[in-house]
Amino acid sequence: VKSESESFEILDRALRAANADEADAVLLSVDQNISRFANSNLHQNMSEISAGLTLRVIVNGSMGVASTSSFDDDEIARTAALAREAAKHSDPLQNFTGLYRDLPDPLPLRTFDERTAHISPAEKATSLRAIFDAHRDVQFAGSYATSASSAACANTHGIRRYAPLTFADATVIALHSKGSGYATRCARLVDDVDILALGDEATFKATLRLDTVEDIEPGAFDVILEPPALAEVFEWLTMIAFTGQSYEDGSSFLVDHIGKRVAGENFTLADDAADESFLPFPFDLEGLPKFRVPLIERGIAHPPMVDKAYADRLGFPPNGGAWHLGASDHGTAFHIALAGGDTTREEMIRSTKRGIWVTRFNYVNGLLEPKTALMTGTTRDGTFLIRDGEVAARLPNLRWTQSMIEAISNIESLTKERRRVATWYNMFGGTIAPTVKIKNWNITGKQGAGA
Amino acid sequence: MKPSRAQLEDVLSTIRAARYADIRFTETHQQHVKVRNGEVDHLSSTVDRAIGVRVLVGNGWGFAASSDTSEASLRATAKRALEVAAASNIASTQTITLSDVEARIASWSSKYDVDPWSIPIERKIEHLMHATEPMRGDPRIHQASGEISCYRQNKVFASTDGSHIEQTTTEMGGGIEAVAIDGGEFQRRTYPNPFGGDFQAEGWEFIERLDLAGKGLQIRDEALSLLSAPKAPAGRFDLIIGSSQLALQVHESCGHPTELDRAMGLEISLAGGSFLQPEMLGNFRYGSDLVTIVADATIPGALGTFAFDDDGVPAQRFPLIDRGLFVDYLSGRDTAPIIGRRSNGTVRAESAARIPIIRMTNINLEPGSTPLADVIADTKHGIFVDTNKSWSIDDLRLNFQFGCEIAYEIENGRLGRLLRNPLYTGITPEFWRSCDAVADRASWQVWGLPNCGKGDPMQTMRVAHGAPAARFRSVEMA
Repeated sequence: VKSESESFEILDRALRAANADEADAVLLSVDQNISRFANSNLHQNMSEISAGLTLRVIVNGSMGVASTSSFDDDEIARTAALAREAAKHSDPLQNFTGLYRDLPDPLPLRTFDERTAHISPAEKATSLRAIFDAHRDVQFAGSYATSASSAACANTHGIRRYAPLTFADATVIALHSKGSGYATRCARLVDDVDILALGDEATFKATLRLDTVEDIEPGAFDVILEPPALAEVFEWLTMIAFTGQSYEDGSSFLVDHIGKRVAGENFTLADDAADESFLPFPFDLEGLPKFRVPLIERGIAHPPMVDKAYADRLGFPPNGGAWHLGASDHGTAFHIALAGGDTTREEMIRSTKRGIWVTRFNYVNGLLEPKTALMTGTTRDGTFLIRDGEVAARLPNLRWTQSMIEAISNIESLTKERRRVATWYNMFGGTIAPTVKIKNWNITGKQGAGA
Repeated sequence: MKPSRAQLEDVLSTIRAARYADIRFTETHQQHVKVRNGEVDHLSSTVDRAIGVRVLVGNGWGFAASSDTSEASLRATAKRALEVAAASNIASTQTITLSDVEARIASWSSKYDVDPWSIPIERKIEHLMHATEPMRGDPRIHQASGEISCYRQNKVFASTDGSHIEQTTTEMGGGIEAVAIDGGEFQRRTYPNPFGGDFQAEGWEFIERLDLAGKGLQIRDEALSLLSAPKAPAGRFDLIIGSSQLALQVHESCGHPTELDRAMGLEISLAGGSFLQPEMLGNFRYGSDLVTIVADATIPGALGTFAFDDDGVPAQRFPLIDRGLFVDYLSGRDTAPIIGRRSNGTVRAESAARIPIIRMTNINLEPGSTPLADVIADTKHGIFVDTNKSWSIDDLRLNFQFGCEIAYEIENGRLGRLLRNPLYTGITPEFWRSCDAVADRASWQVWGLPNCGKGDPMQTMRVAHGAPAARFRSVEMA
């Protein structure tokens, strides 16, 4: 992983080579190990040490971006020339007031853990062997990933940021001949990810109510959705509704609804990289210190995430949404935080006359009808029928097709406890969510039958 | 930058503890130009270099990669791969057998007439502006956009089996899009395909052949008409699926479930498994007699075409579904022996920084003998759909739901009213068994998909699908 001095040495050379009115650059480096297992066997084990530089130049108000994974002077000069060439052929950014200057210091957030950075592949393999040996009645599949990374950014106005970060993320699926179960955790500290406990949790779900397997017909049901299920939905919601681009092009349901009610009073969603109980990170990659950004506060819509260019273009205050210089999303939420409520999962189950308890979703798609956030997906790795306040039976995997605008207005309760969930495209954050009970969720099919 | 053959052989000779080892180097160049509403929206260039070392020690795989491609880094990366393999052996519980492969010294490049990088950026922008400007003007058109992508990857592979293979693939992609919004109604039409257009392993001549400017007004008008078109009805209908959408249907409901690593449960933690299990080989009726699906990594100009896979196995053509019968998987050297077969050469990685895994090549539904017009004329009451809008399929690749950009009513053998927001759904083998007409080669087209996701870390692979239009009886529309 690149140190602070190594990072700024490369960034300073890139900014000097930029030869532009303004420029900024990002250097990311990662040292990661991912151990994948299936059939209670470690079958893929990878280690990667890599780094990448992205340089953005502003010439006559137009932007150009180029990136490289090599950092010698010739390559940086070539990258700068490509960025300038791109800027030369681009149009001036509308209402752009320039890259950031004179920003306050970011919050002193803890992002790095020495033990996580240095845990060996052998120690992780030993932990995996322990869960394989502890539960012979099921077969395990999953992954156990740890990484140490660095993120640095700088611009020609003197903004300079550097943060090291660590990440641990484990997913365990337990497979029984009649069912499967799932458990996942992620954290900045590897010691907060108890792989043995995940094995126990996944096995519990895989073997729960194996004695009773029932079927249901499609219809509207009360559903209890655990954090991994919600995370996939909110990742899609972020893409189709909370980016600067989706707002600007009119496809976001936020358009014409900012300041208006779009969800129930009990629904609050934010981008929150400043929460130390989540996956904290101190700045976005344009250097703006991170702070909590409400997206929907007690049911009322707020502006989308934006980068500096789209903050200026759309007239919104900058809110730290830049995670890829020059990317087409023009701002996105990488720290999706759904506020919790005051109940427990057990109380949700007890209060349900007839409903469905869902562990996670599979292959959600949010592009059906963006204006209503109509999405579809299936359940997997633990779907249960609740009857008269008890877990009555296992269910097959189910297909659902549901407007999320309706769903976030139909929330009956949320747990106080929230859990972090990682996502594959985001090294900085993820989702933190409670378990949520939602009324009238549309089940439209099941694994072995049409939907 | 690029390691020499002597350097690679020297490093391989130091990996004595391994039963097998290989080293890959990749250098990948990409350029992307997007115009939107008369402005250049995105213009970027990337260069990525990587080395990757894979070793098999005992029954443990170890893989290490680096973006530092120097000789010192290569030696350090090989050492790390051995350390990772030693760790794998702690939790390895199964025996690994590799199928045989012949040592090959080879060099291969995909063909093109006009180098994508020889076309100046301003010409690419001008090409897109020319295609998209006529689409603007109506206030309901919120977005008229177009994009062009260029891709080139140079890859070197060397193994302890004695192979040294260098391959270079050059690709181009392009497309246009019209987004129409009226109140709460949102409609998108794209040409020739959504998500960046169509892609082929060709040069600028492919972009010229797409004739983006000639299609702009058509998709603008279709997007506007869709705003007020009736919603596609729910219920069971005879469904004719156009080539573009059927290509994605093949991808999701045949390509992925015939990946042997999925069937063995090796990808279950992320993307899921497969309903197609080894005991079904040769005896499971996947589709009707009209359904023959082949994997063909040898088609000139397609995204899933290469000379050797990342195991050093030659590219091949073979059936997966033969006249409706499930007959083979996509496999690699360490998975094929589990079912008593030899690798059929489908293992690839996004770059040298990633582990090679089983990936689709060009997975094609073979054309039938009936002209599409005759298939439509033979349909009394049905719906025609095309161009993908949304996709979802369960973890065993059984229950799917697809949304399409456009649909037409079919009444008495003729295309009728335009319909918006069609959604169709089904169960994979039931759906393919209901196929009772496959249109002829005139409707068959190879579609490039540069964004197939699989693996952990996620790898985006470039694959392709040849598909004609086809008819399916009594499909459920949602």
